[in-house]
Amino acid sequence: MSFNIPLIFDKENENIQQNFVPKMDIDITELNEILPENLLRKELPIPNIPEIEIIRHFIKLSNRTYGVDTGIYPLGSCTMKYNPKVNETIVKLPGFAHIHPLQEENQGCLELIYHISKLLGEITGMDGFTLQPAAGAHGELAGLLIIKKFFESKGIKKQKIIVPDSAHGTNPASAKMAGFSIIELISNEFGEVPLDELEFVMQEGDVAGIMLTNPNTLGVFDKQIKEITRIVHENEGLCYYDGANLNPMLGICRPRDMGFDIVHLNLHKTFSTPHGGGGPGSGPIGVVNELIPFLPKPCLISTKKGIICKNNDDKSIGRIKAFWGNFGVIIRAYAYILALGAEGLKKVGQIAVLNANYLRILLQQNYFLPYNRICQHEFVLSDQGLPNDVSTEDIAKRILDYGIYAPTIYFPLIVPGALMIEPTETEPKSSLDYFVEVMNKIFEEAKKNPELLKNAPHKTPVKRLDAVLAARKPILHD
Amino acid sequence: MDFIPHDNKTVSEMLDVIGVKSLQELFQDIPNDLRLDKLNLPSGLSEPDLVQQIEKISQKNKIYSSSFLGAGCYYHYIPSLVDSITSRSEFYTSYTPYQAEASQGYLQAIYEYQTIISRLTQMDVANASMYDGSTALAEAAIMSTIITGKKTVILLKGIHPEYEDVVRTYCWGRNVCVETASEEILKEKLNSDVAAILFQSPNFFGDIEDSLKIVKNLREKNSNCMIIQVMTDPTCLGILNPPGSTDIDIFVAEGQSFGLNPSFGGPGLGIFTAKQKYLRKIPGRLIGKTKEINGDQYGFILTLQAREQHIRREKASSNICTNQALCSLAALIYLLSLGRTGLKEIASQNVQKAHYLKMRLSKIPGYEIINKKPTYNEFLVKCPNIDALCNLCKQRDLQPPLKISSYFPEMKNIALVCVTEMNSKDSINSFIEAATLALNNEAEEI
Repeated sequence: MSFNIPLIFDKENENIQQNFVPKMDIDITELNEILPENLLRKELPIPNIPEIEIIRHFIKLSNRTYGVDTGIYPLGSCTMKYNPKVNETIVKLPGFAHIHPLQEENQGCLELIYHISKLLGEITGMDGFTLQPAAGAHGELAGLLIIKKFFESKGIKKQKIIVPDSAHGTNPASAKMAGFSIIELISNEFGEVPLDELEFVMQEGDVAGIMLTNPNTLGVFDKQIKEITRIVHENEGLCYYDGANLNPMLGICRPRDMGFDIVHLNLHKTFSTPHGGGGPGSGPIGVVNELIPFLPKPCLISTKKGIICKNNDDKSIGRIKAFWGNFGVIIRAYAYILALGAEGLKKVGQIAVLNANYLRILLQQNYFLPYNRICQHEFVLSDQGLPNDVSTEDIAKRILDYGIYAPTIYFPLIVPGALMIEPTETEPKSSLDYFVEVMNKIFEEAKKNPELLKNAPHKTPVKRLDAVLAARKPILHD
Repeated sequence: MDFIPHDNKTVSEMLDVIGVKSLQELFQDIPNDLRLDKLNLPSGLSEPDLVQQIEKISQKNKIYSSSFLGAGCYYHYIPSLVDSITSRSEFYTSYTPYQAEASQGYLQAIYEYQTIISRLTQMDVANASMYDGSTALAEAAIMSTIITGKKTVILLKGIHPEYEDVVRTYCWGRNVCVETASEEILKEKLNSDVAAILFQSPNFFGDIEDSLKIVKNLREKNSNCMIIQVMTDPTCLGILNPPGSTDIDIFVAEGQSFGLNPSFGGPGLGIFTAKQKYLRKIPGRLIGKTKEINGDQYGFILTLQAREQHIRREKASSNICTNQALCSLAALIYLLSLGRTGLKEIASQNVQKAHYLKMRLSKIPGYEIINKKPTYNEFLVKCPNIDALCNLCKQRDLQPPLKISSYFPEMKNIALVCVTEMNSKDSINSFIEAATLALNNEAEEI
């Protein structure tokens, strides 16, 4: 018996009534009197489907989708924290939802963008912010273009960027999009940047800077961070902070104080806006004073007449997106920061780290922890030494059978068979304990009945899917 | 308020398990001089105080009863189904569906989105989404340079000026040269170094271009150069020829019209489609249909990930990771809600209502319609006194049209007027009244 849900296109019913078109209230001129026949399409292969069929179809699909509201979502580097419901209410206020990006009476929107840029400035220590980037990777691109423009404006040619091997994949890809070539730095045995190597590479002279995340993707805070940024600065480079891992640093330590010149944040990670199944996100970037003129357009300033747009046409990298960024996401993050305030944000950092270390201590009893030390927001296990050649993928698929979501797998690349775990601060102890219980049970299963893992999952609507077939013979629509 | 579920007792129990005495001890790797005492931010707010405070900010924006402003962001009716389904928190609180077996619902929905976009555009493949129309266009331009190995793209006149800016920024990043041309002089500019020609239709000024003719002319001149079309209000596809019926290589669009609020311009939806032969160079996520390894059921999965940054790193075709998934879901539900009949009717009403206003305006002395080509729901009109017209609109609670001089200073006294199915006959007549009165009014007197 198949448990597949038929595609919605099967529910076609040609003759149903149409509910969503206003009654035409002007005298109709026939289309072919307005537009030449050759511009008009002959067929429109979109189905007519009764409303009840649509809603039932998508409720069924939602039942086969797992969100933070379903249970623990321990995806490392993704910061799957609770998405406050009040933010969903606020974003739907007509005074935001119905505002056109080109309308004149927009002080509310501009004030909100201006104000959150100040709040983010305090949180990160940065002097200026732009809310234009639509996602983290988009922020990275903007940040790297700023680095490019900065050196161009000084007449200095610098074409390389240092990216450690532990970096998120977006880092090297973004650097490439900004026209840089990449120097990969191999992390030392503590998962940190090797200082000698860094100094050597920087002295070559053609290096525009470094992209780092701290804590890094192993969840380790690099103690030598001030040394690192000093070395880069002394060799006339800039330091870029990948803010994907900012959550444990909230109210604890600021990227600017570590010595960074540019930082991007993921509002959809650290600042609680929903991931939406992959987006939309928002990836604002903050910079030090010297780099403010290079920020993308449009830029806002505060005047006696209110917040106004003032662009720096000489130096700005230009536009990176139409209009004003993902404003709906920005509103939610703004509400989150106001709700938590100074104390709340600090507690976020503290409890995110508490939860991660709690899991780390309990899980290392059965699983190999290559970097065994106090971690920050996340830590990384490996499938090394698991009984009966059970792999990371097997573990992840078996976790799904227990009704929870699996961690990030096979990332970071520097840990073979990585299971990267980030619980976030909003996870109750009971669900952390359940996760540990599940992981320990799976370890026992690996010893006694490895086939159970290798064929997992068993209880999901479909069994393990053939990813190779999907890529070899791509079927991307019906 | 905060959203942390632990009380102090739980915190100390957990600290005991970890084997540290305090929360501070967990941050021992952070050098003392880097530790922050306290953020200089206000105290937190309760939910009612928060709502009240932010609502006040929202009230500083003006909401009009009817709008004549478009230019890349449109007021269309959004069926209640859209919000009802996208508000299901299984959808909106989920992550990118890395674990396919636990994410079949969302994966199927995005597969259905790719399907409906392919059908609507008649293009071979659609990806899962880009950030918005402008970045979709920029990525399409970059993609054409990667495919052809050439380093110049040409923009035809009529592309949304903000989109053009974004294309320029992305191209500068990749050291790609951007040129602009009108259709007339395009042939002179076409040489062997051109990766792609980019054009918008309906264009920023409202003109519906004859894509078939453009494509035919270009192919005669330079058959290797790719052709990329962009569109800012794809509701027009309810009646207009789909891009796939011409020989377009890449078609992109802003999908905000499909069930998304204007929301000050974001989040929108970058629709990205291409010919099959470019499949492995397409940026962004793709959902594929596959089978169980040991079973007969079909299922859905993120596929062709070898194109993407998390596998290929600097060799990836793009750095995009997070996209606009929830907006794709909204667009899918929008298109399904309207169906063939509804989408066709909406598109027809847009044309007919815009035509009605266009004809009426052209009969008022002093007003002159600029467009020589057919138009969809936007057109350019030269006004005797544009400031007076805009002020009179505001007095009637009508959102005024765009003064096109805000983008093109040399185009004085020209309005870009947008009319959709949301403009009632009354509001259109009220606009006409404003236009008539503006003849006799000096802007300063209002």
